[in-house]
Amino acid sequence: MRNRVIGAVGVVLAACVLVSAPAAAQEKTGAKTGFMLKPGAARIVLMRPTIRVASQSTGGMSEPNADWTAQAVENIDKALRDAQAQLGNDVVSYDEGVSGEGALTAQYGNLFSAVADSVITYQFFAGNRLPTKKRSKEFEWSVGPGLSGLHSLDGADYALFINTRDDYGSTGRKVLQLFAALGGVGITSGVHIGYAGLVDLKTGELVWLNADRQMGGDVRTAEGAVKRVAQLLEGFPGKPGEPLAAGAK
Amino acid sequence: MFKFTTLALSVATMAAVPALAGNALVSPGAHKGIAKSSLSATPDGEWNRLGRRDGKFVELWTKDGDSLNKVTFFGGVPAGEPLFREADKKNRPLPKVSGTMLMTDIPTLLESSYRIQFNVNRISIDDQEPATLGGHPGLKFRYTFVSADDEVERKGEAIGAIVKDRVFLVSYEAPAIYFFEKDLPAFHQLAATLKM
Amino acid sequence: MLPFLAAALLAAAGPAAAQADPSLPPFTLGYEPTSVDERGLWMDADERERRLRDSTLTVRDEALNRYLKGVLCRTVGEERCRGVRLYVVEVPAFNANMAPNGTMVVWTGMLLRARNEAELAAVLGHEFAHFELRHGLGGFKQRRNASDVGAWLAVLGGLTNAGTGDLQLSLLGSVYQFNREQEEAADRLGFQYLAAAGYPSDAATHVWQTLMAEQDATAVGHGRKPKQRYAAGFFDTHPTSLKRAEYLAAEAGKIGDSGRDPRAADYHAAIAGHLPQWLEAQVKLNDFGGTEYLLQQLAADSGWTGELLFARAELYRLRGNPRDLAASVGFYRGALSAGYSEARLYRNMGMSLLRSGQTSEGHTALNEYLRLIPDASDAKAVRALVEQ
Repeated sequence: MRNRVIGAVGVVLAACVLVSAPAAAQEKTGAKTGFMLKPGAARIVLMRPTIRVASQSTGGMSEPNADWTAQAVENIDKALRDAQAQLGNDVVSYDEGVSGEGALTAQYGNLFSAVADSVITYQFFAGNRLPTKKRSKEFEWSVGPGLSGLHSLDGADYALFINTRDDYGSTGRKVLQLFAALGGVGITSGVHIGYAGLVDLKTGELVWLNADRQMGGDVRTAEGAVKRVAQLLEGFPGKPGEPLAAGAK
Repeated sequence: MFKFTTLALSVATMAAVPALAGNALVSPGAHKGIAKSSLSATPDGEWNRLGRRDGKFVELWTKDGDSLNKVTFFGGVPAGEPLFREADKKNRPLPKVSGTMLMTDIPTLLESSYRIQFNVNRISIDDQEPATLGGHPGLKFRYTFVSADDEVERKGEAIGAIVKDRVFLVSYEAPAIYFFEKDLPAFHQLAATLKM
Repeated sequence: MLPFLAAALLAAAGPAAAQADPSLPPFTLGYEPTSVDERGLWMDADERERRLRDSTLTVRDEALNRYLKGVLCRTVGEERCRGVRLYVVEVPAFNANMAPNGTMVVWTGMLLRARNEAELAAVLGHEFAHFELRHGLGGFKQRRNASDVGAWLAVLGGLTNAGTGDLQLSLLGSVYQFNREQEEAADRLGFQYLAAAGYPSDAATHVWQTLMAEQDATAVGHGRKPKQRYAAGFFDTHPTSLKRAEYLAAEAGKIGDSGRDPRAADYHAAIAGHLPQWLEAQVKLNDFGGTEYLLQQLAADSGWTGELLFARAELYRLRGNPRDLAASVGFYRGALSAGYSEARLYRNMGMSLLRSGQTSEGHTALNEYLRLIPDASDAKAVRALVEQ
């Protein structure tokens, strides 16, 4: 029990003194070669988005902020619907209903996260790219065809997974950042991570993924959320019927 | 009451930039000296060898990333050594290979190491049968497990043998949904060519 | 100049203290969090609860959950417990906690260690007291202040090239000292619950005494010095266990209700179905000292049952020194005499015998296993051992 505390504290410490690494070249978007959205109005199920807004204290500790998160959920939801309506798509929120599929859906959510992490770590991140992913420009990732068997997803064409995580630096943190820069130590103020991924429910293929470790747009405001959603959907398989440029960008 | 420290923990892991590792291509054909040991294999498809090493006697191969499909080669772990580099030697030491181990003790050694090192709170060894590893009598076993780190249910299959008091073990692991079945044939092909 | 600047900035970064209205208890049904800090914690707890509900590591056993909720209700009262959602999570370590939104989480390692219902009630009551006293909120604020200090030191260390590792540790140590007062407050309230519910109130001190002794036993087993827990060391989230055990014992002495029934039989019946699995998980943690102590404690109450003897045999076999293997065979035989009837005993005893060089006896045991379960999932492997 105590060991866990010490271990956790060690990580907190590491987070506190997180010295920013030199920015390595990193790609942000990948899409399956030749993929195009189903012609007509595609029906997209928005899986329960993980949207979390917190403030970051001077020590780098993240403090969840419900008001900001509630605003962000509302703003992002609206911006997403607007953006999708312009593209002619029908976005509905996932509802487990009476299917009793909560635990299985959670397993798919966990698997999606593992796949997205793998894409980011081993394909987008150039310095760590797997040689087989480097040479071939293909974007081939999947969570498997089993998703099509979920009754709670009946009638939908695609599942959209969204995950954003914002820690806004407090005034103390920002001053610290400035101060540290004088001494040549980089301290990051704020965390703005996000990714969005689209899964074809017929095949389970990840047809598109967009991920960024430094996103813009203040999700606490309506305008900021519009900017964030635009960024999250950057490279989204555009208008129905319009083919995408192949491979990773 | 550790919940608040784990909040900060998730910030740290999300923000962490992966180390520049130097992953290498494993092209089809013969590969000798796997895990700096006498193990060799002749895959007929491509794999990637991770630059990351989880221990002195460990080498990792993957197709799509180690959380999606992972082959771990343990190249002759001698008596007195653990399977992996210990994350917390002082407080959570790993079990060590013993000179009197039987081949049927290998699954338990793996299970115990996983429970301690990877927060695998649920694991079951599903079946075991005799097999050969590089011409030496050994054991083939299958297992399922869940780590509290990502809660993805995974399946595994491994072949192990004890040769001159050293543990040789080659395992394949992947999420139970989709991935395990997808890459199992490639592992079986690889495993069939193992020599030492 | 630098320290001056740092001090000025630290002062500027001090948090605004927004206190929640303490008049309304948080267990009131329909209670809504008020301050920004409190709502933030609830939101996080709500999301965490959603994950718990769907998590694959959550133990979904209705009977067990009903029993645990029943013990909580008996301890803190129907009115208080009504809104609580309780989850059992498969983690083989001693822990329980309660989130500000009324989610109570109990780890299986805690259930393995409680020796009777009264000890379980002592832990649940203690965690509920943290919730009732809104400690989640206060602890969070204090931690924020301390981590502010840590980051400042890291920067100053970078600027002056001074090593600050030790300083950071000493400062972080102070975070947890703040929490000791809260732990004591929760102990006091939890203690009142225990006494009012009709449990022997010395159950609380027993919990801490055995935990403390187990940690010592673990340390010794890993070749470290024992008794470090008895000093007020850093990172002890909880008040020094010894001090705690002492004041809890003194309080119990005043009440003098140690003759009350701790309801051991009810407790053992409720966890019986899970006990083999929890023992197996514990035995495989490579914690010989702590596990041996734990088994002794469990046996002190129930006697050496076949199940406990089997676990002990496994513990010795897994450590695997020649003397351990010999001892394990003795424990396997003892388990048989005590009525243990799972066939796997013969397999594992056979392996201990083989490793001890007692080949023919080993083969006899393995053959008995194969006779009992000819189509076991590992039958082929075991047969190979016999034929080798």
